Amino acid sequence: MIGVLQWGTLAVCGIATLLRVPSALRGENRSLFSILALLTLAILLSIDAPYVAVDQALGGVNVANLVLRFVIFAAVFFLGLRMARGFGADDSLRLITGPVGIAAAAAASAAVVVVFLMTDTAGSSAGLVAVAAKGARNAALVEYYGAAGRLYPAFIMLALFPAMVRTLRSGLSVLVRCGAALLAVGTVAMSLSLLFPVIPPPLGFLRYVINYMAVLCVVLGLVLFWLAKALAQRAPKKQASLSGVPRR
Amino acid sequence: MPLPAKAFQLWLHQVAPSASTADICRISGIKRTTLAQQLVRGKVAESTLVSISRALDLSPLAALASFDQYGELATRQQPPSAAELVSQIATMDLLRAVISRSSPAYGGYGDNGSSMTPDLTPAPHATSVRNWVDAIDDGELRHRVSAATGVAPQNYSAQLTANRLSPELAVATARAAGVGFTGGLVATGLITEEEAGWPPGAKQTALDALSDGELTALAGERLQALGKSLRRQEQEQAQTEKIWENLG
Repeated sequence: MIGVLQWGTLAVCGIATLLRVPSALRGENRSLFSILALLTLAILLSIDAPYVAVDQALGGVNVANLVLRFVIFAAVFFLGLRMARGFGADDSLRLITGPVGIAAAAAASAAVVVVFLMTDTAGSSAGLVAVAAKGARNAALVEYYGAAGRLYPAFIMLALFPAMVRTLRSGLSVLVRCGAALLAVGTVAMSLSLLFPVIPPPLGFLRYVINYMAVLCVVLGLVLFWLAKALAQRAPKKQASLSGVPRR
Repeated sequence: MPLPAKAFQLWLHQVAPSASTADICRISGIKRTTLAQQLVRGKVAESTLVSISRALDLSPLAALASFDQYGELATRQQPPSAAELVSQIATMDLLRAVISRSSPAYGGYGDNGSSMTPDLTPAPHATSVRNWVDAIDDGELRHRVSAATGVAPQNYSAQLTANRLSPELAVATARAAGVGFTGGLVATGLITEEEAGWPPGAKQTALDALSDGELTALAGERLQALGKSLRRQEQEQAQTEKIWENLG
């Protein structure tokens, strides 16, 4: 089941990215294309087989996992910028790009790198499962490493949450609000990942479900916005005007 | 609460004993699947009954009154008040009346029927439901309707904002306000003014009876409400475009 979820998410991300290639070539919203590409790369690196292949090429000491962390940081940062601007959330934008946001990014990056260097990371293993199994010290370090990696995405997403709730409660069109709802679910899921250490081992599959659900919801939310835009551009523009007041 | 299917079929059998369902649908312009679905679910929409009555040259009001839950329609026939009649005049018609009273170029005081001041548009208009409720509201009406029907005040307000009101609520509102039952049915567009038994020209007479001060103040209120709703639409449009620009 988890395999289906993983590869299914990869497929959705990959298709969404490919669909955006033409508009990216035309120069529309290139940063959105890069966000989708980064998310696709992140999903690819979170799946066993591709991860091991990439990591072997990088020396087999799990550097790929470090790369994955920074890919996620970058994707989340750019996504956060776009969302804050799109939802007109100046407060969130200040939080993300201001001193607090920079400090959070720096702290998370430093923590990830330092903990990674302290860990005996030999032997490619997706999610560092085999690395954690090497002993109590390694297990603890891998847990800290994971927590440090989840901190920054959760920070960005929590900063954006109020703006998304505002959008949801507004009177915007249904498609736009569905997109905002999906993004909200995705951000909540990303923030929930902070609770991973307290999930009991028998429910370990929840980690996968939450992680992949988060990415799926975010990507599908973005696709919905795009769809709404495309549909609105095709249909005659509904402008607010005196004669355009809804009549029965 | 729409009409029970059983009572509806009994009524149909009485008024058109020989007609098949297919015939009924053909003459009334109702889609067969729509009617079939309503019958299966056991709830027939009032608008279905009205369409069929019209097609059979029956009075929709009398047809509605033959059902238990609308029995009051026949027992207490009360003509619409002047305020109700004025509430069913479209905002643009009110503005035209203001101009016609002020400007000799329009054929002088009270010009109507000319190309400059055409006949009043038939009800319902773009905000007819809210204007009707406002016209009969003594300040406590919404609370009384809510208490009598169990519909939450915010749901009631949402219907008014959308210029909708279920026939059942329209009748309940009229009952709570102590006015004739036809006002709400006309304001929601279920039946026409003529079908409601309103004398032709009643709206025009009510309009002519307004003093210049009353008419101007009323037109001003309507214009302000219209401006508000247009501004809100424009804001929502701007918000949507911002989302598309950044995330679409």
